[in-house]
This record gives sequence, C-alpha cells and structure tokens, in this order.
Amino acid sequence: MIGVIDTCFLIDWSRFRRREILEKLFNVLLIHEEVLRQIRSESAIGYVSELFTKGVLRLYPWSNMDEKEFIILRSQVSSNSRIPSLERPDLLCLIIAYNSDAVLLSENVGIHRVVQYHPRYSHVEVWIALDVIEQSVYKGLIKVDSEEDFLSIVKEYELDTHHSFRKNKVRSAIERVREWLMR
Amino acid sequence: MVNEIRPPKELIKKWEEEDEEARKTRKSMANWNFINKQPPRIKLALIVYIETGDIYKAARIAELTVDEFNEIRIKANIPSIT
Repeated sequence: MIGVIDTCFLIDWSRFRRREILEKLFNVLLIHEEVLRQIRSESAIGYVSELFTKGVLRLYPWSNMDEKEFIILRSQVSSNSRIPSLERPDLLCLIIAYNSDAVLLSENVGIHRVVQYHPRYSHVEVWIALDVIEQSVYKGLIKVDSEEDFLSIVKEYELDTHHSFRKNKVRSAIERVREWLMR
Repeated sequence: MVNEIRPPKELIKKWEEEDEEARKTRKSMANWNFINKQPPRIKLALIVYIETGDIYKAARIAELTVDEFNEIRIKANIPSIT
C-alpha cells in the first residue's frame, strides 16, 4: 500500500509513541519537498530522517503536469469560507495521492472537505491518524483484545499529540473494531 | 478559465455545525493563563487558531511555520481536532 504524508499529519504523528506502525502499514510513503520545508520540530525532523534512512519515505517527483493540475484545483476550490486554508503543500499531497492511487494521510480539515464534494478527487481515500490506528489493528500491527484496548491506544495518541478526534468518528471506529473482534 | 466547484448547501450546514463544536472544544480546553502571557502576535495567532482551527492562518499571523506554531499550540493546550 502507498501512502502520501502531508504536513499536519506528519507533525502530529511524529510525536506518537507508536509511530513505527506507519512504516509497517505502508510499503512506500511519498512526500513532497514543500512539506519537508514546513517541518522544524525535533520530533518531525528526526522521524522524517528515520523514514528516509529506512527507505520507506520517498520524495515525489513533481512534474509540470502535476503543476498544471494544481493550478486547476486551486481555482476550483479557492473561495469557500467553510473550507479552512488549503495551502499549496496540502493540495499538492492530494494531487500526488490521486495520481499515485495512494492513501492520503492528512489532518487538514479542508482537504477532508474537498474530497467530500469534488468529483475528480472524491474517490481519494484520506485517512486521519485514527484510521491508521484502526487499520493497524486489522493488520495485526497493534494487538487489541477489547474495545477498551483500542480506545486506550487512541487515548495514547491524543495524549502524545494534543490532538482530539471527533466523538462520532471514535464511536464509529469502536463499532467497527468491536465487529472485527467478534469474528 | 476554470469554473469554481461549490459544495452543496447541506454539506456547508454540516461543516458549520462541526466547526462550532470544535471551536467550543478548543476554547474550553485552552490554557488561557499561558495564552495571556504570550507576546501580542503569538497571543493573536492562538486566538485565531481557537476561533478557526486553521493552523496555516494562525502560523502566518505568528510569523512561524506550521510546525513551529504547532509547538506553541501544544503548550497552550489547544487540541487540534479532526
């Protein structure tokens, strides 16, 4: 499975005590150099260096065609007040995910909203960290024996990153994990 | 000429409700003692973040990168919410 990492995801995920599960879940992670330019914290720089060294993370070769696609997308989604800042690096990541048939790892609410209505990008899978944790359970990368185990890992993430997931998303994830545990 | 693609009204309504809920959570969890002690530009950026949840906008106001602003957000105990 191929993943694309954007800035918002990376800076939070790099603080997670179980961050190594990401490199086990994805064969390849793609990143744009403009995302790299955004990171400054020790945790994020250290994590990115580690992923490059392990050969999991690769720089995406941005092309002129990709750039044209960015200009079009930018004009199509530019002015809705309910879509938080869609900055260039995050839109680039959406285009990379679309063109690479990859999962986009993003905590950018704006990106999650664009894929809810944009006809071209609506089939792009965009995961938040909660989805990564859930998928890691299904792949056996995180062992859980109960819903409580799953929830405690979600709480670990929230504690490590000061990131909160919406209650309805956590409830839905717990229900799916419960069904999976009963199989 | 590229036409803008607009989200449907029902989605916009749903997003408004989500945004308001998130804004209340950020506001109630924030460490206001920490925020009030910050230099004016950082304080303003933190307040904008609480109100909008928009880390890019807040980082620009603070004249920092997103990652640098995120460090301050954490110190101010303001959750990012998705």
